[in-house]
Amino acid sequence: MTAELALAGVLGVSALQALLVLALSRPPGLRDVVHVLSTGVVALFAGYLVVAVANGETARIVLAQPLPNVELAFAIEPLGTLAGAVLAGLGFLHAVHTSGMVRATDQKAPARLMAFSALTTAAAMAVMFSANLFSFFVAYQALALAAFPLVAHVGDDEARNTARTFLAVLLGASIALLLPAMIWTYTLAGALEFQTGGVLAGRVDQLSANILLVLFVLGIAGAAAPPMHRWLTVSFTAPYPSLVLVQGLAVLPAAGIGLLKVFAYVFGSALITAAPATQILLGICGVTMCSAALIALSKTDMRERLAYSFWAQSLAAIVGGLLAAPAGLFAAALQIVATSCAATTLLMAVGTTAAVTGRHRTLDYPGLGRVMPWTFAGIAIACASLIGMPPFSGAWAKLWLITASASTGVIWAAGLVGAAAVLTFAHLGPLAANAFAGRAPTDAFKRPDGASILLVAPVILAAAGTLGLLVLADPLASFLSPVWTPR
Amino acid sequence: MSAYLDLIRSHAPAVILGALLVGAALALATPHGRASWALALFAAIAAAVAALDLSWRFLTTGAPLAPDAVLTVDGVGAFVAPLIAILAALVILAEGAAIRERLARAIPFAMALHLAGAAGWIGALFAQDFVGLVVGVNVGWLALTGLVATGPERGGLNGALRMLTAGGAGAAFMLAGVALVTYATGSSAVDAAARALISGPQIATLGFVLLLVPLMLMAGAAPFHGWSGAAFGRSNETLALTMGALASLAVVARLAAVAATAPAVAESVSVVLVSVGIASVLIGSVQAVGAVNVRRLIAYAGAAQAGCVLVAIALESPAGLAAALIQLSAWGAGAFALFAGIAASKDAALTALDGLGRRAPFAGIAITVGALSFMGAPLTIGLLGRWRLIEAGVGAGWWWATGAAIVTSLAAVFYGGRLIERIYFRRATEAAAFDLDVWRWARAPVLAAAIAAIAWGLAPSLLLELAARASRLALGVDA
Repeated sequence: MTAELALAGVLGVSALQALLVLALSRPPGLRDVVHVLSTGVVALFAGYLVVAVANGETARIVLAQPLPNVELAFAIEPLGTLAGAVLAGLGFLHAVHTSGMVRATDQKAPARLMAFSALTTAAAMAVMFSANLFSFFVAYQALALAAFPLVAHVGDDEARNTARTFLAVLLGASIALLLPAMIWTYTLAGALEFQTGGVLAGRVDQLSANILLVLFVLGIAGAAAPPMHRWLTVSFTAPYPSLVLVQGLAVLPAAGIGLLKVFAYVFGSALITAAPATQILLGICGVTMCSAALIALSKTDMRERLAYSFWAQSLAAIVGGLLAAPAGLFAAALQIVATSCAATTLLMAVGTTAAVTGRHRTLDYPGLGRVMPWTFAGIAIACASLIGMPPFSGAWAKLWLITASASTGVIWAAGLVGAAAVLTFAHLGPLAANAFAGRAPTDAFKRPDGASILLVAPVILAAAGTLGLLVLADPLASFLSPVWTPR
Repeated sequence: MSAYLDLIRSHAPAVILGALLVGAALALATPHGRASWALALFAAIAAAVAALDLSWRFLTTGAPLAPDAVLTVDGVGAFVAPLIAILAALVILAEGAAIRERLARAIPFAMALHLAGAAGWIGALFAQDFVGLVVGVNVGWLALTGLVATGPERGGLNGALRMLTAGGAGAAFMLAGVALVTYATGSSAVDAAARALISGPQIATLGFVLLLVPLMLMAGAAPFHGWSGAAFGRSNETLALTMGALASLAVVARLAAVAATAPAVAESVSVVLVSVGIASVLIGSVQAVGAVNVRRLIAYAGAAQAGCVLVAIALESPAGLAAALIQLSAWGAGAFALFAGIAASKDAALTALDGLGRRAPFAGIAITVGALSFMGAPLTIGLLGRWRLIEAGVGAGWWWATGAAIVTSLAAVFYGGRLIERIYFRRATEAAAFDLDVWRWARAPVLAAAIAAIAWGLAPSLLLELAARASRLALGVDA
């Protein structure tokens, strides 16, 4: 197998999967097998690409050339490949979990849900493997459009309004801000290719760099920089399988990776010339990160609390990228990967809990860990990682973030990261602890047979992945080093 | 044989108009409805083939045409004429789906009006002097008015009356404009205006404005679009009206290109175009967002799109004119996809679209693709138009022109999103009126063509090249 074939597989299999799931929607068993096996194939391809990148191989697929010097192209590079592999690996577990969830909750139109999950995964993969800004723009818009039906899946007025907000913010920001930024970049650089060192390096003056930075950060609204975060905080009403994709696996992480690609490959060294925009955005994102973690404390619906919590985590990644230093970029990449693992684990576990107990409020959680130990072990591990408790994987990201802030002389940013970690502990720590320390409820399960293996196994495996990351910090640093240092 | 073919090709403009006008006469003389339709379709296809051949030869090889007393070809004409001829053929083809609803004796009239209208618009693009241009435009407009008035929907009469009133006033303005331009430049020839030593710049400017404003009215550009809501909203002739609006804008582009090469009037004309363009973007976008009748919604969206075209034309540069031509193509493809898709449902209310994706999947796809193109979504021709406008605007230092493109796209996200949501995320609340006649398949090629045109955004190098060449020729930058 060649790297090109694996890249085509990663991008194409999910799209094919969507068609197959719709075509083979009955019997449900066949549909689920197709859904799970396809994601497994994608995971294998993504794993192959990680090895290929580690061995210094390159691969590029060009689909079209819509404009002179602008191709619709996808390529492998460390940042996208790492995030793609995480998405593919967790996507496999999510597919298994989705199969369990649609059965446990008698979800309506399960084939449609799975098909759009596959399309969202395909679009997220395209974002991560995009070879240039234009391809990123195309994939990012496709991602918003593919995820829209997931948010609207319930089909009632509330879901429709939420989905409208979701689409309006993501598409609106990309058209109003990202598109002009991209065309401006094209005008300045004559190309949109992602390249180590930055396509704008040496080609942009200070004023343009400042304006462009603001346009990119706000235009990629999927990364949830304020005030473009509303899509995230309202989307908690979506069904759990959709939430996992929107907040844990696809939209939020893909947009975060996209923003990092812009920092690393579009700005590169030109990011230093984008002051004071970098400092102002750092301040806004840092303060909002703490505010989001504080607001999460006031939310009693688990899904809403988690939405604010993930928002705070995604802002930490933006802070890392804005530090304009290799250590900051690495911290941001690690933060995205660690958050993705923990968020997926947490959302799947909370979904499992809701499916088998009907409980989704924080007040209902005490003692549940005693009757669902495996699921709540997953919750505990994921919470610890999000908080940044050593030795869980989130701790490495926070540590690098604080180190990078200090080394670039932005001490106050390090303080804000620390404060956000404390506030995250406040809204997640007691929750996980009470689940085990509280008295076990006598009527925990609404289903007599409890949670099926399809609902519990993915949570345990995802939690194991979250744990496993803690030993991978060094290899990841070495894997990602070409992002800021050309081979 | 080859000599005859060369002779025909060297007189291509006359051949195109001849095919359309002779076809109109024969269609009118044929009493049987279906036969008249077939004849008209044949004539339109013949004209489209001739126009494509002319355009290809003129824009790629610069092949010379035989001298003609009344017709000439410039870059804009060469680019847009085949577009109009193809659209006319598609409109007539789609008429097959609705032919059962018309009075049998009205069909030959309708077919003749379609062909005469296309001949009028193409004639205006090929006219050598201003009088010919005005005659062509008014033939096209009156044919459209006649179509709206004689359509199966009685509500169309209101629209036709408004069109007649607007067109009458417009014709008077245009004739006054011709007189003033002719007086100021000393010639009634269109291309002579560019070369002329203009004695009275104010008079010439006023003349150009009097020529341009009625054309912008006919294009449905706000705030001159008082007729469009009634005509589009209550008539079934939406495809023909779209073709007319597109042709009007093309004539605006032609005149603006002439004005751009005459320094005495260039700046003033540019100011008028950009003022109307911005107003059209803003008013059209707001009205489209608030519309509850789908046809009106698309008409207002068209006003916003027309505004973008006008802003691009106002740049008076090769890049701007090329952007305008691409946006014109994008608008035509998008509007055809939307109107042809919506024709699957006989009710024009927004609620009639509920669940259309299941009832008429092909129409649903066409509407979705059209809406995405209006938004400027990636890989559609719509994005290409927006991109070129922003690029041309930035290149000319008109940063604010970016705003026009963005406002249009943002508004399209709202109204386009509403259309898509209704088609795929709602169930039909009542039994929808459906045309189950086998002839409804006559609409399928229109949908397919529109979708294909929008998908041209995937590999548009040929389109970009032709538009660039056409704009350079029109502005006399590249002989």
